[in-house]
Amino acid sequence: MSNNKTKNPILFFLEQSWLLMVSAILFGALLASLNYAWQPKIKQNEIDKFNRLAGGLLTKAETFETALENIPVDIGKGKTYNVEVKKGLDADGNLVGWAFICEGSGFADKIKLVVGVDAAFEKMAGFGVLSSNETPGFGDKITIKDGFFQSQYKGAPVAELTLSKIGDADKIDSEIIAISGATVTSEAVVKIFNTFLLPIKENMKEAGLLK
Amino acid sequence: MDTLQTLLLGFIGIVIVNNLVFTKFLGICPYLGVSGRIDMAFGMGLAVTFVVTLAGTLTWFIDHVFLMQFGLEVMRYLCFILVIAGAVQLVEMYLRKFFPALYESFGIFLPLITTNCAILGLCLFINLWGIDNLLEAVVLSFGAGIGFTIAICIMAGIRENLQLADVPECLKGAPITLITAGILTLAFMGFAGMIR
Amino acid sequence: MSSETSLNKTFFAGIWDNNPVLRLLLGMCPTLAVTAAVKPALTMGLSVIFVLLFSNIVVSLLRHQLKPHVRILMFTLTIATAVTIADLALKAYLPEMSDKLGPYIPLIIVNCIIIGRAEACASKNGLVVSIVDAIGMGLGFTITLCVLAGIRELLATGKIFEAQVMPDAFVPWAGMGMPVGAFITLGLLLGLVNIVSRKKA
Repeated sequence: MSNNKTKNPILFFLEQSWLLMVSAILFGALLASLNYAWQPKIKQNEIDKFNRLAGGLLTKAETFETALENIPVDIGKGKTYNVEVKKGLDADGNLVGWAFICEGSGFADKIKLVVGVDAAFEKMAGFGVLSSNETPGFGDKITIKDGFFQSQYKGAPVAELTLSKIGDADKIDSEIIAISGATVTSEAVVKIFNTFLLPIKENMKEAGLLK
Repeated sequence: MDTLQTLLLGFIGIVIVNNLVFTKFLGICPYLGVSGRIDMAFGMGLAVTFVVTLAGTLTWFIDHVFLMQFGLEVMRYLCFILVIAGAVQLVEMYLRKFFPALYESFGIFLPLITTNCAILGLCLFINLWGIDNLLEAVVLSFGAGIGFTIAICIMAGIRENLQLADVPECLKGAPITLITAGILTLAFMGFAGMIR
Repeated sequence: MSSETSLNKTFFAGIWDNNPVLRLLLGMCPTLAVTAAVKPALTMGLSVIFVLLFSNIVVSLLRHQLKPHVRILMFTLTIATAVTIADLALKAYLPEMSDKLGPYIPLIIVNCIIIGRAEACASKNGLVVSIVDAIGMGLGFTITLCVLAGIRELLATGKIFEAQVMPDAFVPWAGMGMPVGAFITLGLLLGLVNIVSRKKA
């Protein structure tokens, strides 16, 4: 201690920590430049992922463009989620449908879905899972593309959906048959549809995008 | 009333349903290392609760007030870990100076906490879940600490009894602890889906 | 010659004698969390090798300038930088894996293996030894992760590396994909290692 007192405290501080500060600045610069170089690619990856999922739903769509942004949807507990609706255009530029991302809480964690609907916003084109963390072997069956759960939504009407434990899964209507052993996950997906679809439709009508 | 409900559900959720140790595998190192005796385990749990509450709140604040405002998300991990390391040092110095008795009882765990994944993990999860108000961040951080304490104390209780059990020679020590932990996660899985 | 054998020794120490997961019980969180399938486990292992190399090289080069007070802070800073680079690279080139691993990539920062090697090896040894040590330790970690993930993926889904290997009649053990499977498989694996190493001794 006595040794320190004879020294200027600022000098002592600098002597101890110059390396730390220099490397902090160097590392910061390194990260900033890497970030600058890779950020466009990361953004593109996200768009690609959306397009791939949405393209799988609206098979005729070639490109997706933003149609309406910041649609507030009340997701309960006093929170709102802002939806961005994209329109799918085929090779000739004709409207083939709409796609958007929505989310809700599932069994273990949040479930994020990409939902597709037809051009008139009356029939669904199905959904794809953007991210989920459901129980392997049970809840994660919702992620199986064209599996029995996902295919129930293809062509189903845009209306209040209901969930049943037994029934005919091949019949396409507003009644969804739950995955056995994963009722909570099935409920969560149905709930996402019920919370998001109708408010979005209302908003799009107000914006003049739908007849 | 709505916010109170959200907070309460969030708290119970992170203590039991999304317990960091059992569902996210965070904080396993101290969970295996310090769970030999129940009093040590409790001390560790308290120390973690204290630091995680502080760190969770601070990192949320820094993330929202500085990093997101200036588009510096790339510096997030760097800032988070420095905040945690700083918070741990600060707590250690403060305790040593003002509460020597408390420092005696759980001060020895503090240096270990910097590398406890539960702390950084929680800060990252708060960011990932998109928690957007300070109060919720505080409650979740505190809940995570409590959840960790519960997990490590249950484990310590079982291990104290396990010493009397006849465990196959090759499974003594860490292996049997891991297997016990596995069975415990199975029990805690029963809570999953309770809160939506 | 003697320096060569000691390098060999350093290299193989990481893989078996001082295997970070099986012997030193370090880095348990990622070991348990990302081993539901081989692909994420391999990605994780490679990221850890990269971070270990980066931090060991930097720390070894700066070892004469390090002040004891700020030593740990310096290690953390280096590691956090390396991890951010790895995270950005994964997001840019392997977005699918980045989604799957999620927060477990940034959690490499607090992986005790890396800070432990910086302290125990790189801050005392020259560049070559530090590099060899990083590769040995990293490989040991990766191999263990892949073995564990292989067992779990095979039993949970009947596939390895996403290719079907089990016959159709095999009923997948869903439990192996859950946290339970991780803990119990690792526990039994540690028991097995104990038996093997006792026979050797």
